[in-house]
Amino acid sequence: MSTTARRLELGRVGETTRRVDAIPKVTGEFAYASDLFAAGMLWGHTVRSPHAHARIVEIDISQALAMAGVHGVLTHTDVPGAKTYGLEFADQPVLAIDRVRYFGEPVALVAAEHPEQARRAAERIQVEYEPLEPVVDPERATEQEPLHEENPTAGHGFRDDQRPNVLRSIAIRHGDPDAEGEVSVSGVYELGMQDQAFLGPESGLAVPDGEGGVDIYVATQWLHVDRDQVAPCLGLEKEQVRIHLSGVGGAFGGREDLSMQVHGALLALHTSRPVKMVYSREESFVGHVHRHPAKIWMEHRATKAGRLVNVRAQILLDGGAYASSSAAVTSNAACFAVGPYSVDNALIECTCVYSNNPPCGAMRGFGAVQSCFAHEAQMDKLATALGIDPVELRLLNALAPGDTLPTGQKVSGSFPAAEVIRRAAELPVPEAEELPRDPIRLPGGAGNTTHGQGVKRGVGFAVGFKNVCYSEGFDDACAARVRLWKGADDELVGEVHCAGAEVGQGVTNVILQVARTELGTENVALAPGSTADVESSGSASASRLTWMAAGAVRLACRDALAEFEAGRSAVDVQRTYHHPRTAPLDPETGQVKGDRVHVAYMCAAMRVVVEVDVELGLTRVVWIGTAQDVGKALNPQAVHGQIEGGTAQGLGLALMEEIQTRDGLITNASFTDYLIPTTLDMPPVEAELIEEEEPDAPYGVKGVGEPPTVVSTAAVVSALRDATGSELARVPVRPDELAGL
Amino acid sequence: MQLLRPESVEAAAAALGNGSVALAGGTDLVPMLRDRLVSAETLVELKEVVPRGVEGTRIGAGTTLAELEVDPEIPAALREACALAASPQLRSMGTIGGNLLQATRCWYWRLDFPCFLHGGSRCHAREGAHREHAIFGNERCASAHPSDPAAALLALGARVRTSRRELGLEELYRLPTEDDRNVTALEPGELILELDVPRPEASVYLKAMDRARWAFPLVGVAAARFADGVRLALAGVAPIPWRLDSETDLDRATPLPGTAYKVELARPLIRRALHSVT
Ligand SMILES: Cc1cc2nc3c(=O)[nH]c(=O)nc-3n(C[C@H](O)[C@H](O)[C@H](O)COP(=O)(O)OP(=O)(O)OC[C@H]3O[C@@H](n4cnc5c(N)ncnc54)[C@H](O)[C@@H]3O)c2cc1C
Ligand code: SF4
Repeated sequence: MSTTARRLELGRVGETTRRVDAIPKVTGEFAYASDLFAAGMLWGHTVRSPHAHARIVEIDISQALAMAGVHGVLTHTDVPGAKTYGLEFADQPVLAIDRVRYFGEPVALVAAEHPEQARRAAERIQVEYEPLEPVVDPERATEQEPLHEENPTAGHGFRDDQRPNVLRSIAIRHGDPDAEGEVSVSGVYELGMQDQAFLGPESGLAVPDGEGGVDIYVATQWLHVDRDQVAPCLGLEKEQVRIHLSGVGGAFGGREDLSMQVHGALLALHTSRPVKMVYSREESFVGHVHRHPAKIWMEHRATKAGRLVNVRAQILLDGGAYASSSAAVTSNAACFAVGPYSVDNALIECTCVYSNNPPCGAMRGFGAVQSCFAHEAQMDKLATALGIDPVELRLLNALAPGDTLPTGQKVSGSFPAAEVIRRAAELPVPEAEELPRDPIRLPGGAGNTTHGQGVKRGVGFAVGFKNVCYSEGFDDACAARVRLWKGADDELVGEVHCAGAEVGQGVTNVILQVARTELGTENVALAPGSTADVESSGSASASRLTWMAAGAVRLACRDALAEFEAGRSAVDVQRTYHHPRTAPLDPETGQVKGDRVHVAYMCAAMRVVVEVDVELGLTRVVWIGTAQDVGKALNPQAVHGQIEGGTAQGLGLALMEEIQTRDGLITNASFTDYLIPTTLDMPPVEAELIEEEEPDAPYGVKGVGEPPTVVSTAAVVSALRDATGSELARVPVRPDELAGL
Repeated sequence: MQLLRPESVEAAAAALGNGSVALAGGTDLVPMLRDRLVSAETLVELKEVVPRGVEGTRIGAGTTLAELEVDPEIPAALREACALAASPQLRSMGTIGGNLLQATRCWYWRLDFPCFLHGGSRCHAREGAHREHAIFGNERCASAHPSDPAAALLALGARVRTSRRELGLEELYRLPTEDDRNVTALEPGELILELDVPRPEASVYLKAMDRARWAFPLVGVAAARFADGVRLALAGVAPIPWRLDSETDLDRATPLPGTAYKVELARPLIRRALHSVT
């Protein structure tokens, strides 16, 4: 085989390369975390609270302990180290102590020979609860008893807000917040709680090392932050806890927080046996955080000519029982509240409250999804009020380099918002397909409900943007380690270590493409991700990992190659890449205290065609066209994959996905009752990649995972409004909202 | 827990009751056992005793939905209702007998709230979220019957042969009352053996759901035309499959605030179903 042929096969930066995990995943050979196995392993099970809010009076484990096959039953008293943990604030008990604050909160653990024995023993653990009034209405939460006596998030440079149950509140004051326009439109918008709905439930295996430490193999998004939370709870040094990445079946933010990590390790250390834990589907719904439900009031003031004068917003997010990453989501929802538009004046207030609802945290789009749904509904409303074409209105106000964001940050680097809008608007909308057609291509789908009766067509448009990488002064650096040596025939061989989690987004390919490009060889392998042999990569979130891992791997490869070329026969180099520094926001004004609050931005615009059977309220999304600002597509096929997947997730929120709760209890914790779109609900997506390189990033990349999710919910509902003439201020929009219009 | 495999209807009937439960495909029963909604010492497998297959107008209760959906002998409404129920995997396990007797999907019931249908005094759905719930017969229990095939069979005027008697499908179902919370008239130990399904001149099943496929019906409408007129039956509108004489019967619906849309949805759906069989 010639070298060029091999090059084509394996691929460098910018070339489409087939995902290394693609075939194993579709053939069923890929080992997910739930496939883990160790000789002599026990099965762990979590006893969870059936109450959303209750005091724990007593826990009696004696019966469970005496059962056959049971090797250990643990409660909070068995947690040797820190009793609480958390991504940003350690406010969440490893095991509930004297109070449970959400439905499904872990209370006790069981390890047994067989999973069924563990489940049965769990049923015999007697927990006496004294139910307490749950805080379930976020609008009333600030007047109710505080759920955390000492507000865990107070201080930390956040605005001083003394109201009970405020997790974080932020106000961004920009220009003159009282500035008047000639026209004003306003509305109240709501979004339900969305689940990440990844297919691989939380799972992992903890193996005691025989010297007091533990190895944890787990499906996660950020190995090192797991370790940094797990070790203190176990009362161990960081080095004694090694986290290894196992096969991840989707993440979307839902694996940023810990699930079974500490629990499995506690059981393993207690029993001196490997312990495996796999959540059931129902358990998974309480095993991870969700997308924040939101209620958003917005007012847009503009000139008659359509220039935005002032945007005012009040955003309320329900954070649920524990902080998770809610503080950052709060800031994001506020920072992106206006959308990628230039406006001289704004007053944006965003509050996230604690409640006894399921905890919310990171999910693809991270606060920007909620804001985009509101600001794009507003832009459509404004266009109607002014009689201006909605695309024109957006172009007229499109934010560009040199403009100032409401946070005071000047837009620098790549920001092709106008180009993205133009290119999406130029995509030709397909003609309506002739009737009669197969019902599967009509609203109502397989249900055969129409042959065209009642069907109206609508076209919608939306634009959104979001930050890439972490913000507000956080240095989410990424390390990579490269070993080089001479292999057979004196050929250069490389081994890359990077803890960046492959969660299905394709970072493995990116890392290998970068290494092949930089080292100029095909002989490169990526070692399994582990805290044991490389420093932190930061999280597989905030659309950041391609940028950060490419930066780190490129740096390490270049330095390793230099050493190698200087004559060393074996090289082992570790380098850490940092993105440009960001600065926090002033807690009172929401103005950035330095150059930039966010590293860089990604924009997307989307045009959607729907058909709605307005009599029955059934919908069909016919076509989606999008243009997305991607910086540089390192693996174009994977970028298209991210755009399609991200769009499907936003379409799900637009049309069907919502976690239902009653008094804080999740009532639809299954894929029978929590519906997600299937392939039949997803139309083809035509995507234009806008490659305007980001000057501060390796190869000019940006992120690509989140913008399609940010914009698609808004775009789909915009099309539904066009078809129906209804305001549709709440998502998901289901048939009950549309029937009989 | 033990599994019995009786070889005669009599043996099966004798084994039932007293902590034992009949098992067909298990697609509804097994999840309920797991969730402790049903407790059973003994499972009585029906495979050997309940007929399977189609003969003329008779359908064995042990026939799977997957077998029915492709059988050209079966009236269109039933075939379509079977094809639209659940997912291919579930349909190749799930039987028509089990489908008719599947438990409500009301999530309060599935989460074991002590509601009316579980023997309690209130209907939690009436007071709480209930968009999937009923518009007819919903005074005490507002659940919506989830079976697509049941609506089709009701429109087709199917008769049921059990281990003890023969009855019309409408007599199989009953609204729960203060004294008896069952939604079927089957007696303990009584098995459904066969269905007899008259051949209509034309029939159809239309199903409105929350996504393009693989969802329970919000409203399903079955229409079957016979020499003496058209029979209509609906899924998803009452605690049991529900017969209507005509669209105007919808005026007598008693929707809850969150189910009023089902009335709006059912109207055009009935019109369209009638249109397609006449
Ligand atoms: C995720 C999911 C989605 C679904 N979606 C739909 C849908 O959209 N539409 C729809 O119509 N259905 C739907 N179903 C229901 C499905 O069709 C039924 O679960 C299935 O048909 C039941 O048949 P089975 O043989 O598995 O019954 P089993 O689970 O074995 O039994 C169900 C009940 O019937 C009793 N039983 C079974 N056979 C007999 C008999 N011959 N005599 C007396 N008692 C008997 C059992 O004791 C048990 O109480 C869905 C189910 C699931 C799990
Ligand atoms: S609808 Fe029926 S099953 Fe549901 S809560 Fe009410 S009584 Fe119970």
